[in-house]
Amino acid sequence: MSERSLPAPTLPVADRPPVGVGAGATAPAPLSRQRVIPLRHPGRWIATAVVLVLVAQLAHGLVTNPFYQWDRFQYWFARPAILQGLVVTLEVTALSAVLGLAGGILLALARQSKNPILRAVSWTYIWLFRSVPLIVVLLILYNFSALYKTLSLGVPFGPGFVHFNESALATDLVVATVGLSLNEAAYAAEVVRAGILSVDQGQHEAAAALGLPKGYQFRRIVLPQALRAIVPAYVNQLIGLIKGTSLVFYVSLLDLFGEVQNMGSTYPTDVVPLLLVATGWYVVLTSVVSVVQFYVERHYARGALRTLPSTPLQKLRAGVRGLRERADRTHLGTVKA
Amino acid sequence: MSSTTTSPTRAAAVEVRGAHKWYGANRVLDGVDLTVQPGQVAVILGPSGSGKSTLLRAINHLEQLDVGHVSVNGELIGVRRHGERLKELGERAILAQRAGIGFVFQGFNLFPHLTALENIAAAPVATGRATREEARATALDLLARVGLADKADAYPRQLSGGQQQRVAIARALAQRPGLILFDEPTSALDPELVGEVLAVIRDLAGSGTTLIVVTHEIGFAREVADLVVFLDGGHIVEQGTPAEVLDNPQHPRTREFLSKVL
Amino acid sequence: MSSTVFRRARLVPASAALIALAGGLTACASSTTAKTETAVAAAAPAGSTIVSVGALANGAATEAKLTVAQSDTIRAELPASVRSSGELTIGLGLLPAGSAPLGFTGSDQKTLTGSEPDLGRLVAAVLGLKPVLNNATWDNLFVGIDSGRNDVGFSNITDTEQRKTKYDFASYRQDNVGFEVLKSSSWTFDGTAESLAGKTVAVGAGTNQEKILEKWQSQLKAEGKTLTIKYFPDNNSTYLALDSGKIDTYFEPNPELAYHVTQTARTNTPTRSAGKFSGAGASLQGLIAATTKKGDGLAKPLADAVNYLIKNGDYAKWLAAWNLSDEAVPTSQVNPPGLPVTNS
Repeated sequence: MSERSLPAPTLPVADRPPVGVGAGATAPAPLSRQRVIPLRHPGRWIATAVVLVLVAQLAHGLVTNPFYQWDRFQYWFARPAILQGLVVTLEVTALSAVLGLAGGILLALARQSKNPILRAVSWTYIWLFRSVPLIVVLLILYNFSALYKTLSLGVPFGPGFVHFNESALATDLVVATVGLSLNEAAYAAEVVRAGILSVDQGQHEAAAALGLPKGYQFRRIVLPQALRAIVPAYVNQLIGLIKGTSLVFYVSLLDLFGEVQNMGSTYPTDVVPLLLVATGWYVVLTSVVSVVQFYVERHYARGALRTLPSTPLQKLRAGVRGLRERADRTHLGTVKA
Repeated sequence: MSSTTTSPTRAAAVEVRGAHKWYGANRVLDGVDLTVQPGQVAVILGPSGSGKSTLLRAINHLEQLDVGHVSVNGELIGVRRHGERLKELGERAILAQRAGIGFVFQGFNLFPHLTALENIAAAPVATGRATREEARATALDLLARVGLADKADAYPRQLSGGQQQRVAIARALAQRPGLILFDEPTSALDPELVGEVLAVIRDLAGSGTTLIVVTHEIGFAREVADLVVFLDGGHIVEQGTPAEVLDNPQHPRTREFLSKVL
Repeated sequence: MSSTVFRRARLVPASAALIALAGGLTACASSTTAKTETAVAAAAPAGSTIVSVGALANGAATEAKLTVAQSDTIRAELPASVRSSGELTIGLGLLPAGSAPLGFTGSDQKTLTGSEPDLGRLVAAVLGLKPVLNNATWDNLFVGIDSGRNDVGFSNITDTEQRKTKYDFASYRQDNVGFEVLKSSSWTFDGTAESLAGKTVAVGAGTNQEKILEKWQSQLKAEGKTLTIKYFPDNNSTYLALDSGKIDTYFEPNPELAYHVTQTARTNTPTRSAGKFSGAGASLQGLIAATTKKGDGLAKPLADAVNYLIKNGDYAKWLAAWNLSDEAVPTSQVNPPGLPVTNS
């Protein structure tokens, strides 16, 4: 349809035209056979150099500044007291994350329910626990057991059948976990609800039209799709929770950060390295969570993307392969020249 | 076959009586009576906003009628008779009724996180009508029937629109429904993909399955339909064989509509 | 001094109100006062207990082993419920960060040590009770006394008239506050508000010394001068701010100050004391006191136990072990006059 009548060269794939004037220095190939010379970006190179210099300076400062006392950092990093705090952080975080998510799913479902009482209860719960500071929740729960020594299961306002000794039941770890879970559930509920809302209405209709049982609709159709939106938001929430556990000293439990603060008062000259130890561990935890997040997201991306993102390992392999191919090509080129 | 009277001996495949539906102050269905006999292909035509989709969705109770009732093979849908009153059915019972009625959406609504095969096999397994192996075998047969035997493990987003809609039809067939409802099955497709979907529906016609198709494909209606229903303003303006309604429309609204779409 | 020394003290009345709220929320829980733990090995009734004071102090004390004989006369004064429980639950408000030499985690990095827990242990020995240390936040220390979780608070709590509306006191140490500055600073506190004009001062929130400081601040404001008050979450961060020059001075309990001065002597940012002040204001010597729930009958036996220790010399040895001999009182009193309510 166009008047241009260019010859259509059929090039073997492996024999791609050289970049620019490379191969035929004296007689450039006809334009139609040349590859376009890529635009140079000197600005990018300058920015790269500046950033690299700054990063190097920062790293140098971190290593050499005596303020950071890296020898003390080394001493503290794996001390039993610190590791004990780390275990508390991990326990409280893991338990609260799971219980909080479970509670959040229930609250989100109640929020979507057709029952107005359930909706109102769920709404009120979320409103209340997002309003009340976590410290206050912990404080009330902590002293709860001092005020009510036994809990009874039985007829409401009537006789109780089973009695619990609450101070035996409510260890500091239990109180901390319950407090954080109550709080976490309120936020998780909104994350889950947002995820459920992100699922197209047509999916609900298709599931209903197929006559899929209600529970199946939620577990196998809605939730897996909602999780695509839920996972990143909830991981964010989870990382906040890891650091949020530092409030558990309010129930006389010392997590990683609590131990660091506590040791800092016994060893006032080690305050900075102790804070760096906490930072180091938080970096490790956050990194682990991020790696897990990548794979979980990849799992739930099935079907949502035409091709799944490569794992770092796959990228590495592809990169090596790419380099090798380029090397081969250059090698061939020189041989030909 | 184009008769709209109810046979006294045999229940109609679909019977809609006195269907009324309001969205707020907006009257969408205004007293629709419709009978489709077993094995018939009914095509519902009408301008947009005429209530076609609402009528179709009322048949499997995706929409609840304000007044009136629907029965499929003589069984009331979504409600039960209680003396002289109709009472709403429980969710579980409604879901069980829907499992016997196929529905194909304009926007396909395949489950994107499941493969083509899993989309088709999910419902028979979930509703306990088939074992996992049976459902899988059926699904492979159905995929072959819609010409997608090689796409069993593809995810919906890896398929073209026409292929997705064919999977959606296979999914509707997986529960061996006696009735399949099509809600503008080709409206979301590129023109060159319409044919492959219509071909699949055409194959279904005459297989004994009752089909009700909401569509704008007049040519398809002429070729395949036993009954053509023209809906406007929430009621049926005219119905009959394709020859009656499409070639010799009696009502001016029908003529006006056909002159626009043909 | 301070009341608080130990970290941020938040308002006790607010906490109490929250507890009332919690009570209202739960209709089905039942409230009993039965103690859940029974004493295992209290000090042998007729014998004596060896109490090691100044242990694991990481250089803040000289360890001494004191043999304390139980006093049956004083034990007889105890409320029956405490005596029969065999335990003295001692509340401390030392979380998350402790405060040397008053109370902190010892050099084994787990045992609670310090002058306050040590005195609690000595008093429990006199009373023939097993000391149970209950370390919590400053807030929960008081809520714990209110709720009965703690029998008594030994946590550098200042005797104030305001607190007397809810608590009984048995005094045991002078309450002095002081100004800590970098050794390189030339500033000295002369006992008047004027010397603080233009300064930036850190202080623990909710403490007595904060009240004193606020009074000076308003006094200076009336004269058109400024005094900036800064709050930090704990001692660690306050000392960092002092080192970096973000604050001019830290107004803190004198024992903490004295200890921190010795700690920093060999570092590149040594500090010194720039002057002391009574924790009860200019006209009254402030007192640190064992704190119990008002009217529970524990204050008198506690005061008697401290006086018993003063008489037999263990009190002086305890103070000496922690380098606090300057803060000695001649006698322990029940509910002595404290920091007046009308302060600001």
